[in-house]
Amino acid sequence: MDLINPTVVDLSRFQFALTALYHFMFVPLTLGLTFMLAAMETVYVVTGKQVYKDMTLFWGKLFGINFALGVATGLTMEFEFGTNWSMYSRFFGDMFGTPLAIEGLMAFFMESTFIGLMFFGWDRLSKPGHLAVTYLVALGSNLSALWILVANASMNMPNGAHFDPETLRMTFDSFVGVVFNPDAQAKFVHTSVAGYVAASLFVMGISAFYLLRKQHRDFAARSFRMAALFGIFSTVAVITLGDVLGRLDYEHQPTKIAAMEGLWHTSKPPYEPWIIAALPNDAKQESSFEIGVPFVLTPLITHSFSMPITGMIELEDAAAPRIASGITAVSALRRYEENHQAADLEEFRAHQDDMGYGLLASRHAPGQDVTAIAPEQLQSVIEQTKPDILPNVFVTFWSFRLMVFLGVFFFVLFAMASYLSLKNQLERNPLFLKLCMWSIPLPVLATEFGWITAEAGRQPWTVFDRLPTFMSASTHSVSYMLFSLAGFTVLYSIFIAVELYLMFKFARLGPEAHGPHEDADPAHLSVVAH
Amino acid sequence: MITLLRFAGLGLALVVALLFAVFVGDQGPWYFAWVVGTVMIILVAAAGGVLFDAQAEEAVSKGEF
Repeated sequence: MDLINPTVVDLSRFQFALTALYHFMFVPLTLGLTFMLAAMETVYVVTGKQVYKDMTLFWGKLFGINFALGVATGLTMEFEFGTNWSMYSRFFGDMFGTPLAIEGLMAFFMESTFIGLMFFGWDRLSKPGHLAVTYLVALGSNLSALWILVANASMNMPNGAHFDPETLRMTFDSFVGVVFNPDAQAKFVHTSVAGYVAASLFVMGISAFYLLRKQHRDFAARSFRMAALFGIFSTVAVITLGDVLGRLDYEHQPTKIAAMEGLWHTSKPPYEPWIIAALPNDAKQESSFEIGVPFVLTPLITHSFSMPITGMIELEDAAAPRIASGITAVSALRRYEENHQAADLEEFRAHQDDMGYGLLASRHAPGQDVTAIAPEQLQSVIEQTKPDILPNVFVTFWSFRLMVFLGVFFFVLFAMASYLSLKNQLERNPLFLKLCMWSIPLPVLATEFGWITAEAGRQPWTVFDRLPTFMSASTHSVSYMLFSLAGFTVLYSIFIAVELYLMFKFARLGPEAHGPHEDADPAHLSVVAH
Repeated sequence: MITLLRFAGLGLALVVALLFAVFVGDQGPWYFAWVVGTVMIILVAAAGGVLFDAQAEEAVSKGEF
């Protein structure tokens, strides 16, 4: 069997990464801003103060711009699985398609229906009725994320499915197993709450801009206060769930956690340092420069002081028997496909857990066919396949580091913002307000780095331990891939430009008064300038 | 009658909430944590807004502007 052109696989990966990274510039703000709007409107309904309605309307307008462009960039990705990843879709479609269908039919329709009511229902619904609609929009947008992340988690930790040798596909076993997959749970909460952080800093940054310019001060100080408190608790939750995900990777994806930590050799507990900075060299399998904090890595990853973390070189060695067993599994499966002999099926079943490693070895087999491997060639094929089990260490290591550094920065920033806001000392600290303003894009960057960590760290698999990435793409031509890649790059860059133009325009215009409100009274400004 | 229906409705909501908490808390602890945590974050942010109003009113009453 001829494998797919590696250039096409690389271009398919690059195109998916590009479209996903573009799409994810919009998603976090949608996830977080909806719940922040709900918080603002809750105060409006409880207190009846017009300023909170103004806040909901103004931030809601910015949310609307972001939502429209986010939907436009997300739609193409659902089709991309079929067009560019048809082998993957065939192998894993039963598993992957179910959450995607639910996302489209339930969450997205719910979100889109109620968003109309949220924008146009202010004069048509009662106050509690409109508040309920705002909460439903927030729930809908986060449920959309839930189903996408359930689908993604099934690629990282395939739960609730098994491989069927009759159909050569993964078959769906348990809906509960898929939905309550531990990876899905942790990933959903981590991603959703990362969106809260992005929304908090977005609101805080624009409010800081108004405070610096002495514009809309009452509106801005209130928005800043709510965003700062929203942000500090969200940041704590993001860090907590990041720790949970790290622990899950330690248990289920040891190659990813070893790459994230730049750990070439098995750790020596409890001394092993947590590496702050290093230059991992994938070719030489070593890091040329390391700065670390001792005694941190073991408790951080294993939640103990004695458990070791297996290094990448040891993981490579440990993969050798699985590669040999996988070659046996794939060979038995091929024979069973042709002859349907019970003995072949039995042999396959004895080795089926390692089938993915046999598929991984096919790249190095004569004629790319593992059944053609002669006994004297077996060891050579295994040795060539071993390094393939590792992801790109440099990318995984640094994307993880950048996400973590930004997470720590957000914690400090929100803690200071909450303190200064509660003490009403914001306007005495213009430098801090400027820092908040310039930090607006950072949470989006952090979520992008998080996504790169998760997806680059999963390599060389599309479905972890089951299906290698190089066997998952469609058999397109290189020119087709280059053309569609260029098209997406241009189109999505236009979307980003439109988003930035509209956001800057409406943020500069500022909140419009949607009716008389008592904050025209200068007394209320005293608490800002106090 | 209306009071009885309201009581029954709230009772039903309580039972559903308890079943949700028991099932999701057992099967999906992090989903449950998300529900509880999101509600808490919203309430803390809302309380921050209300506190702002209280601070403003206190400043007015003390003549600090």
